[in-house]
Amino acid sequence: SLTRQPEEVFDIICKLGEGSYGSVYKALHKESEQVLAIKQVPVDTDLQEIIKEISIMQQCDSPYVVKYYGSYFKNTDLWIVMEYCGAGSVSDIMRLRKKTLSEDEIATILCDTLKGLEYLHRRRKIHRDIKAGNILLNMEGHAKLADFGVAGQLTDTMAKRNTVIGTPFWMAPEVIQEIGYDCVADIWSLGITALEMAEGKPPYGDIHPMRAIFMIPTKPPPSFREPDQWSSEFIDFVSQCLVKNPEERATAEYLLTHEFIGNAKQPHILSQMIAEAGEIRESQAYRNAMNASNAKAFAAGGGCQVGNDSYNSDTMKQASGTLVPARDGSGELAAGLATMVINEQDLATMKRHDTDPMDTNKPKYRPLFLEHFEKKEVNHLNIGTTANGTLTSHLRMPDSDPISTQVAEVCGAASVGALIESGNFEFLSYLSECELEALQARLDVEMEAEIERLHALYERKRRPILDAISLKRKRQQNF
Amino acid sequence: GGCYLVSPLVPTLVPPYLLEEIPHWLVVYSKADQELDHKLRWNMFRLSELDCYSDMLTRLYKQELQLIVMKYEQYRSALLQEFERRRRAKSYGALTNQ
Ligand SMILES: Nc1ncnc2c1ncn2[C@@H]1O[C@H](COP(=O)(O)OP(=O)(O)OP(=O)(O)O)[C@@H](O)[C@H]1O
Ligand SMILES: [Mg+2]
Repeated sequence: SLTRQPEEVFDIICKLGEGSYGSVYKALHKESEQVLAIKQVPVDTDLQEIIKEISIMQQCDSPYVVKYYGSYFKNTDLWIVMEYCGAGSVSDIMRLRKKTLSEDEIATILCDTLKGLEYLHRRRKIHRDIKAGNILLNMEGHAKLADFGVAGQLTDTMAKRNTVIGTPFWMAPEVIQEIGYDCVADIWSLGITALEMAEGKPPYGDIHPMRAIFMIPTKPPPSFREPDQWSSEFIDFVSQCLVKNPEERATAEYLLTHEFIGNAKQPHILSQMIAEAGEIRESQAYRNAMNASNAKAFAAGGGCQVGNDSYNSDTMKQASGTLVPARDGSGELAAGLATMVINEQDLATMKRHDTDPMDTNKPKYRPLFLEHFEKKEVNHLNIGTTANGTLTSHLRMPDSDPISTQVAEVCGAASVGALIESGNFEFLSYLSECELEALQARLDVEMEAEIERLHALYERKRRPILDAISLKRKRQQNF
Repeated sequence: GGCYLVSPLVPTLVPPYLLEEIPHWLVVYSKADQELDHKLRWNMFRLSELDCYSDMLTRLYKQELQLIVMKYEQYRSALLQEFERRRRAKSYGALTNQ
């Protein structure tokens, strides 16, 4: 029935992993005894677009795209029910085995991934988050795209709310520049993912994400660190993905005909790797369970990563006893879950539309308090020009600091921060080698501190807006 | 607002908040002393407007972020240049001293 609570429908078996926006659990669909994965994401946001997206995703039916069965709202959590991929993500496998992949393994995985992308792109759907962490493998070694749509949309919405800018390493230059993008943005990410599988991390993976955001659009496309280790076909494949101009970048359809993909072996060549990763996972789960001396976690931990925060069974029962192996009843299951819908009350609020914020016909709004702020702005600017802004104040070193004293003597300035701000770096030539090295060593830390300061400032500025938003939402619900 | 518009240039997706000009007063608000923030009655706006302003703040934030990163990028390369200059001077000195 429509009104059944999700815990009546599923038994949560254990936790599979955790992402930036929620946790993923292994679960049992009681009726069909099928194992599936449930992603639980706390949501306090605009659900309308998410729900629209879920319905689109449920229409996707490809062996190369993780199947979405439906979703539930449970209190403030959104439960996204999807196909279970027993071998986990490609990045999990690399992490567990502490090993990068061979060219054959990469070709096989990329072949399925490209088929998934071809499927999505034909339907004009952009994945937007292609990376080894979002390519899942089932036990047979078939690769499937995960986190498409709903999760991507969620990530987006959450990122906007929190001023978090997502991990940039896989992003195409045009995505970073926000000049608009289409399906081939995924192809860039695929090229980066190929490098990630070969080298263990994406290019720029060990530099500050904010620097990466700056470098990806400005530098030439990345390539292999050690090109002579790889075949010319593989290198060519990656270089066709990593073309900066999106109009000249290869499409998924085209890349499926590439020699590197044409020579790809069957998925069974991944069995060894999957088995190894599985064993490591199991022994880790075992050790964790023992360490936690948590009988419950242990009992439920068969083959799962029972993390230090193993599933808390406040609202739900742990899976009882033995696990039933997944039999191929996905069609039947899908049919059963098709009726799975959002609690009616939520739907009602979601249908309510607001007037278009972008209605250009309305006169430009100019609030009365504006003048007040404008006066303040003038003051602010004055302060800014005389004292060089507050942003750099943390760079100011104590007076006893030999560098700042020297610099102050040499340049007659108050702080290194101010000098950096001015863009005049002459003072560097007056410092000792040792002092230069000290400055270099502090560089990233200082940049990070400055970014953090800016972030905190904007969070405070955003707070009252978010408060007003949630107040209005609550009022709407009470209609 | 998470709906996407199709831009006329390429068949690409551009979130509408990127196309809309940020109102001047919002820029002022983002820069103004925090003491004054309570003067703004955000409840007077519609929900969709609030969403839009929140998105715009993100945009302003990203712009400032970029300035910071660029500033440090310049600083970083100035440091590297200085190291390089000294390395050259040293090897040159070593040559002429012989
Ligand atoms: N359908 C699934 N079947 C099996 N395991 C899954 C499934 N979906 C996710 N997982 C596991 O759960 C982990 C967390 O997934 P999640 O999507 O929340 O985070 P992520 O992909 O690592 O990062 P991000 O939040 O940036 O997407 C994955 O690394 C994977 O191991
Ligand atoms: Mg994911």
